[in-house]
Amino acid sequence: MPLKLKTKDKHIKKLAEIVNGPKSILYLKEDLLAYDCDGFTIHRHMPKAVVFPKNTEEVAAIVKYCASHNLPFLARGAGTGLSGGAIPINEEVIISLVRMKRLVHVDLENRRAVVEPGFVNLKLTNSISEKGYYYAPDPSSQYCCTIGGNVAENAGGAHCLKYGVTTNHILGLEVVLPNGEIIEISSDGIPDAPGYDLLGLLTGSEGTLGIVTKITVRILKNPEAKQTVLAYFDKVSDGSYAVSDIISAGIVPAALEMMDKIAIEGVEAASFPVGHPKDIAALLLIEVDGIEAGIDEQIKEILEVCKKRNVREVKVAQNEQERARWWANRKTGFGAMGAISPDYLVQDGVIPRSKLPEVLERINQVSEEVGLRIANIFHAGDGNLHPLVLFDSRKPGETEKALKAGTACLKACADVGGSITGEHGVGIEKMEEMRFVFNEEEIQAQTAIREVFNPKNLLNAGKIFPSPGRCVEIKKEMKATSVKSEEKLLEFS
Amino acid sequence: MVVKEFISELRTAFPDVEMEQAQTNCDLGNNGYVHVYPKSEDEIVTILQYANEHGKKIVVQGNGSKKGFGGEKETADILLSLSKYKGIVEHGAGDMTVTVKSGTSFQELQEFLSEYKQQVSLDPSWPKYASIGGVIASNDSGPKRLGYGSARDAVIGLRIIYPDGTIIRSGGKVVKNVAGYDMNKMYIGSMGTLGVFTEVTLKLRPLPKKESVVLISFPEGSFEDIHAFAVKILDSMMEPVSLEFLNPSLAQKLIGKKQFTLAISFEDVESSVDYQVKMIQDMKPDQTTLSILLDNEELQSFWNQLYSISPNGVEGNLETKETEACLKVGVKNLSVLNVIRDGQMLQDSHNLVVTAHGGLGHGICQLNLKGAREDVASVITNLCQIVGRLKGYVIIKHAPLSLRQEINVWGDKPTYLFLMEGIKSKIDPNHVLNEKRFLGGI
Ligand SMILES: Cc1cc2nc3c(=O)[nH]c(=O)nc-3n(C[C@H](O)[C@H](O)[C@H](O)COP(=O)(O)OP(=O)(O)OC[C@H]3O[C@@H](n4cnc5c(N)ncnc54)[C@H](O)[C@@H]3O)c2cc1C
Repeated sequence: MPLKLKTKDKHIKKLAEIVNGPKSILYLKEDLLAYDCDGFTIHRHMPKAVVFPKNTEEVAAIVKYCASHNLPFLARGAGTGLSGGAIPINEEVIISLVRMKRLVHVDLENRRAVVEPGFVNLKLTNSISEKGYYYAPDPSSQYCCTIGGNVAENAGGAHCLKYGVTTNHILGLEVVLPNGEIIEISSDGIPDAPGYDLLGLLTGSEGTLGIVTKITVRILKNPEAKQTVLAYFDKVSDGSYAVSDIISAGIVPAALEMMDKIAIEGVEAASFPVGHPKDIAALLLIEVDGIEAGIDEQIKEILEVCKKRNVREVKVAQNEQERARWWANRKTGFGAMGAISPDYLVQDGVIPRSKLPEVLERINQVSEEVGLRIANIFHAGDGNLHPLVLFDSRKPGETEKALKAGTACLKACADVGGSITGEHGVGIEKMEEMRFVFNEEEIQAQTAIREVFNPKNLLNAGKIFPSPGRCVEIKKEMKATSVKSEEKLLEFS
Repeated sequence: MVVKEFISELRTAFPDVEMEQAQTNCDLGNNGYVHVYPKSEDEIVTILQYANEHGKKIVVQGNGSKKGFGGEKETADILLSLSKYKGIVEHGAGDMTVTVKSGTSFQELQEFLSEYKQQVSLDPSWPKYASIGGVIASNDSGPKRLGYGSARDAVIGLRIIYPDGTIIRSGGKVVKNVAGYDMNKMYIGSMGTLGVFTEVTLKLRPLPKKESVVLISFPEGSFEDIHAFAVKILDSMMEPVSLEFLNPSLAQKLIGKKQFTLAISFEDVESSVDYQVKMIQDMKPDQTTLSILLDNEELQSFWNQLYSISPNGVEGNLETKETEACLKVGVKNLSVLNVIRDGQMLQDSHNLVVTAHGGLGHGICQLNLKGAREDVASVITNLCQIVGRLKGYVIIKHAPLSLRQEINVWGDKPTYLFLMEGIKSKIDPNHVLNEKRFLGGI
């Protein structure tokens, strides 16, 4: 029986058939609005349709259909990506994986679990924690982002300092290639499969090489004990030096996070305040975990380092509730900026740890130059900065200024030998900034790999890599759309 | 080819590069008529461009410890040795990163870092010969992989020269980086088939404040006990850096006990190591014997012996009449028990020596075979079947050329081989580098 659809578009009709019915496809303008951007909201574009496959075969059939009809398409998880990776800039068919959300298999003895891509990150830990196990990569968005999206972005998190980022925990993948072919790489989770490391290449490829439909991950045993320290500093530089000193003392903390004054103002004004003093310049949130017998020794050393660096106050969490409160305060840090600014732009540069004081100073200058406040909440232990540029998109020109400030921060990171992104990916946001770290030949070496996997470039085209004309266009468009969203806001007010 | 003419052609093309005519041929193949020893990156670029433009083939080599790993040819035109391209490029002691030229031996690198109480967290075979470039290109790892991870966890940046001379940097100097594709991963383990590494940047870890190894030897026929004990450790809060299962032949060599033995090592602050050692002592199953290696000398000698148990391409094996081979086997963690046990059984049913060990926490085993050629070949075939049933893989890490020409060094072709072939042909369309040295004849 033909499906009843409110459209004459033959592609949409056909796609609806593949996913078995009108409830698994969106194609009306009002339904598509929610899919015109991801966590990077400055740029918006409408998709052709959104389909919700239930299994790998449906994904493959959709992809085959799109490929044979030259329809651009892309994968989407929870849409929390911060660099625009899931934005359909070519009017793509969006393949949403949120209905493929099963925990397929857990093998505690061999320490692995198999999940579908739409499975939410935190759910994995919650499903195995009773048995004393957890999944290590913990992006702050873990309560809603999908493991498929994590694989695509090679997501990190606060505890990646000791345990590594997503790529260090991926053991196997099932992937639908851009021609619709299904391949399985190390699906049993056995490491070092012979041949080039396609797992490593696919992880972090931002959904441009294939669509991940099943994931085998490593799971870890919960550490025996944890201790968490909060340290307040009157000078940002003292906090930064303390970071270096802790690491050079031979301690590998599970997490080593920093927030500066503006960030603290934000988190204290938002939903999870912990009563940080208002007048301090920086705080460090430090966690050590491992064998209980060894923890005190490390905590003692950390306290000594902080004292040497003129800490104003330093305390150890007295119980799990206190620890959880500190972490909730930190992990909701980005959103908390909403309490002190109408809009914010998150950046994601990485620097060698030792350059922390210098680069934070430079970010300060950038803030003064463009006349926008910049908060810093970041993974200090691995040098992964998150400058949050606070702006008001309703004020003419501020969006552009914010983008400019973001770029300047990334330049500062690249200039000291760092990178333009540590965990959020390049997406459409940082394509142009790729040139801060790679030359033309190095970019070509990477697009050559894309051609192998995605020769027609129908899957998530126009992302990651700058191409001379293209990036200028996008930046121009960004300006245009931000004006549009201003208008939208006016309409509603 | 008239080698004399060829070498004089090369001398004219690059007069400053040190080179020599190949001396003897060993039975491992992967040789070159002419050996070149570049001392600068420019020289490497020039040599590659020359070969690429003149249809010449190159074998890339660090110090030659992996000469018996892959490859179906006696000799290529040029053997490009990185043994003279050595040294530390940059050490960010505060950043815990190091950039090193690819020909530097693993041991030299660790010795340099130990002065700063730092280390590269990898424990490959033959550290005194193995160049860091070779360790990364072959993705070698050892028992401590359980705690350390492998090359893909330690490498943060590479500088690689493509066959057309293009210099490509991948990754960078920072420990966290998702700018562009993670090209490092693709180059790691690519066996020199994509380009020549000139520099490797690694993240470092502090040297552990204390290390201990607990050795537990089991009586014959107690496989269920071993399995149960291993599961108990893995399911505990303990954090062993290695949980390596040794077969009796290997245990005999290392500690003089011809028994299946578990080598459980810990690295951490003193109180934590002591506590965990105590826990193991308390858990010790009945009828096993337990010994503990504590002092540095004992530990060093234990590990050094273990790291040099496999055959290597530097010392060669022309002298002995026996055939030597080394296999890397990957299976699920606990299937390591089966592989090591069956390896021992094959030793008993064939006339050869099998020394074997495997990590119960990571699933990678190494089996060294030594005996008559037919026996070695037959044991390899047997093992491939056993491992196939466990859904794992076997890679021949070392074997004489003649044996490699007969057996499939890399195992079956995966369905997605075409992607790998695609990668190879984008980067090295003329198949200049390490021809047929890799999976599926890449
Ligand atoms: C408040 C907040 C905090 C955050 N904190 C962190 C953090 O601490 N660390 C961090 O790393 N990130 C963080 N992020 C960014 C984001 O959550 C991560 O990038 C996450 O991995 C994206 O997952 P997703 O399911 O939302 O993917 P989406 O946003 O839907 O997609 C991201 C990209 O992945 C592709 N993709 C999605 N699913 C698949 C699939 N199955 N196969 C192939 N490609 C696919 C998409 O095409 C797109 O390019 C944060 C975001 C927010 C909003």
